[in-house]
Amino acid sequence: MTEERNSTSGLDSNKVFSKMLQWQLSATLVVVIIALIVSGSHAAISALAGGLSVTVGAYFASKIAQRSSKEAATVLVNLLKAEAVKIVIIVVLLFITFKVYKQLVPFALIAGLAAAALFSGAAMSKLDKTELEI
Amino acid sequence: MEALALIQAYTGVGIGLIIGLGAAGACIGIGIMCASFLEGAARQPEMIPQLQGKVFLLLGLIDASFIIGVGLAMMFAFANPLLSVVTAAN
Repeated sequence: MTEERNSTSGLDSNKVFSKMLQWQLSATLVVVIIALIVSGSHAAISALAGGLSVTVGAYFASKIAQRSSKEAATVLVNLLKAEAVKIVIIVVLLFITFKVYKQLVPFALIAGLAAAALFSGAAMSKLDKTELEI
Repeated sequence: MEALALIQAYTGVGIGLIIGLGAAGACIGIGIMCASFLEGAARQPEMIPQLQGKVFLLLGLIDASFIIGVGLAMMFAFANPLLSVVTAAN
């Protein structure tokens, strides 16, 4: 029974991670459209850069976080590794964006970044639904 | 010239505070959550796979404020809006 439950919840965690990435991409897309309407194409590209840097970081972090183990300490170390990789990727991508893109609109970038970062938690709703189904 | 130097100096202090306080807050939050995860896993080891997804999502939420802070700090470091106002006035 426990094994069945573990394997089912493993599949569900995959769904939750993909749902999280979907939410982040959707939030980024909304901010990009608003920036395009309000401030033009450079603001839209800036918002896209901000949102995508968080989404790419979260994608690689989710690959590391999906490694399952029976020991709580191993799971925790994997999760902390995933978070460290996520932060490093985001910082590197933001640094490259600020250095390379000369027509950057900083406030649009921050808006895209904030939307993508905050909407990652929206996947919690998916987590609750799958648990109720089980 | 002196105003520019003052703005740069205070911006540097501000960047340090944004990143330092943000990192401190995120670390405290992550520490509390990881302690709770270990406690929960010790009580019910069969719940570890279910808690794993939740912990990852909450780690992302706790770190969101820090990541936004890093973005703001980079904005002040590379494209300081306060500095551009002064240079435009001169």
